[in-house]
Amino acid sequence: MSSEVVAEIEEQVEHLRAAGKVPPGLEDELAERFEEIAEASLAAVASASAADSWIGAGSTTGGPQSGPSLAQLPRRASMLARKRLGPSVRRLERRATLGAARAGEAASTRVHVTADRLERLAAHSPLASRALSAARAGEPPRGFSGALHPTIEGPLLAWVLEHLGGAEASEDAPELGRLVLHAECGDGRVVEALAARGLDARGADPRRSSRASGDTNIAAAGALEYLGATPNGTLDGLLLSGVVDQLRPGAARALAHLAASRLKPGGVVVLVSARPEATVAIDPVAADLAPGRPLHPVTWCHLLARYGLTELGVFEPDATDPDVFAVSALRPLSSGLFGEVPR
Amino acid sequence: MTARPVRIDQVIPSIVERDAVSHHALEAQRVLRSMGFVSEIYACTMGRELAGRVHPLRELPRERGDHQWVCYQASIGSPAADAVASHPGLKLVNYHNISPAELVERWMPLLGEEVRLGRKQLVELAPLVELGVAVSEFNRLELEEAGYRRSVVAPLTVDTANFDYPPDPRAAERLRAARSLGGHDWLFVGQMLPHKAHQDVIKALVCARRMFDPDARLHLVGRESCPPYADALRRYVAALGLTGAVEFAGSVSPGELAAYYSTADVLVCCSDHEGFCAPLLEAMHHRLPVVAYGVAAVPETVLDAGIVLPCKSPVLVATAVERVLTDRQLRHTLVRAGLERTRAFSVEGARRAFAQAIEQMLQAT
Repeated sequence: MSSEVVAEIEEQVEHLRAAGKVPPGLEDELAERFEEIAEASLAAVASASAADSWIGAGSTTGGPQSGPSLAQLPRRASMLARKRLGPSVRRLERRATLGAARAGEAASTRVHVTADRLERLAAHSPLASRALSAARAGEPPRGFSGALHPTIEGPLLAWVLEHLGGAEASEDAPELGRLVLHAECGDGRVVEALAARGLDARGADPRRSSRASGDTNIAAAGALEYLGATPNGTLDGLLLSGVVDQLRPGAARALAHLAASRLKPGGVVVLVSARPEATVAIDPVAADLAPGRPLHPVTWCHLLARYGLTELGVFEPDATDPDVFAVSALRPLSSGLFGEVPR
Repeated sequence: MTARPVRIDQVIPSIVERDAVSHHALEAQRVLRSMGFVSEIYACTMGRELAGRVHPLRELPRERGDHQWVCYQASIGSPAADAVASHPGLKLVNYHNISPAELVERWMPLLGEEVRLGRKQLVELAPLVELGVAVSEFNRLELEEAGYRRSVVAPLTVDTANFDYPPDPRAAERLRAARSLGGHDWLFVGQMLPHKAHQDVIKALVCARRMFDPDARLHLVGRESCPPYADALRRYVAALGLTGAVEFAGSVSPGELAAYYSTADVLVCCSDHEGFCAPLLEAMHHRLPVVAYGVAAVPETVLDAGIVLPCKSPVLVATAVERVLTDRQLRHTLVRAGLERTRAFSVEGARRAFAQAIEQMLQAT
């Protein structure tokens, strides 16, 4: 029955059009109007995101007089192309939007890497430190809730070594030469333990000065800063601790992005953090005033999966300390989430 | 032959109140328990009101052996799928469909990636899963295409509690007062997400007001889940001079929803993708004729109990609505067919179909 009625309705529409009872151009006009508004809404969202970023995006060029007519040209051209070429242009536009979103994400990662570097430099320069503090008035300095960072020792250390270092170092030394980074590594005890297993272990910590002695090689750098300067596909293993408990807004995404891209195919990332609810319970004032706070394990899983890592697992390595969790993930041997190496 | 399992647990990415997939998982738990299995639900995230009834995913038992199976409620990309993939027991996937990324990523890039991940995980799970259970034939065909060896259809257990909820008197009064000014009331129910294409219903309303019914109104009911999209729709409505004619009702209580269904004249759906579309059935239950764009699972859900259009040109949608509103015989036929159609989706029937799927898996293993 329905199909017969639909045929009648289609016929009725034809008659209406033939009789000039359908306002000419109305449907095109409605479609164009929505596209214009959609583009404006999406542009407003994009500019609001840029204004929210930790380092300002800067003012726009061109005053109000120079803008409107020029700004309308690409949109008019786009509307005309869409009208003439229809769906294929929309597909291209969607791809361009997605490409722009990805480019924006890469830019955001670079911003966080730079911020990490500036923050470390500021810690060693009284002048820069004062400028940074003035810019972030009311915030306690980073490291304020440092006492909440889990210490990697005992069962937690054993678990980390098992996940990153494999079996005990042996004569066969199957792990020899694998490059593993611990960021942020504190006094470097985990780096030393990894090196003792035959791994090429490196460390990075913004609060330490660079040193290389014996098997340990530690750089004075933040996690984002160090990873930002590391080429893609370099690391066999990556241990993230400390930094993950106190990330600036948006930096978690940048860190997950960098972690996924810097691993070799088959490489493993291990992240050790405090449960957010635990940090609030221990010292709610410190947690609330800290520049950042730990994330839930499911959020880390989501971020790491988003950048193409698989075999995600959440663990409580130390049964005596349920407030500490670890997440591990693997960069697949074949390809990233979108069939390409994450950049 | 594998031994009968002791427990069949469910894993779901997210479970909240008043959500179709969440409600289905709770119904499936009832069915599994009634079949004598121990059955718990494990979720990555859960609504506050479900705490105590649902467990965090990290508590999912992972004992080796045949006595524990796991059923994954698949509707989006999630780390929960990896937990299922690595589970040692036999696995089922209950598939609710995943919206295509290209329909959402323009507005919600993150959701775009989540749904893309969801489809990738669906394919990765295929060789590990004994049986795929789809809520519609449309979804079952997608499972087949994704490489599932065996798949069956067991309809969604629709939340019928909403169906017979008494209309909220104040909401009903307000809506009736608006009707007294003349013009018909169009209704669309669904989350304000880009693939629901609310703008296409608005376009059709503009045509209807210009061509047939100058005082027609549209009520958009559903949570505003994508703020930029909702903002664009509001600006669109304002730009078209429809501010008084289009209501953004947002998320409403069951009583208010019943008031909308009981006072509207027609439900209009122009979604670009629906894996089932429960509001179509709700409308039929409330004797509301349905005009819908026939895409994805919509034709299968409606069958001949509504007007299913092959395209959604605004003039075609407006003309179809006008026909439904003015042809009394057609309206009567559609209402009767709609009521008949809702009976095919009774909770008892859906429970029976799900239990049969489980029995089928027991037989096969």
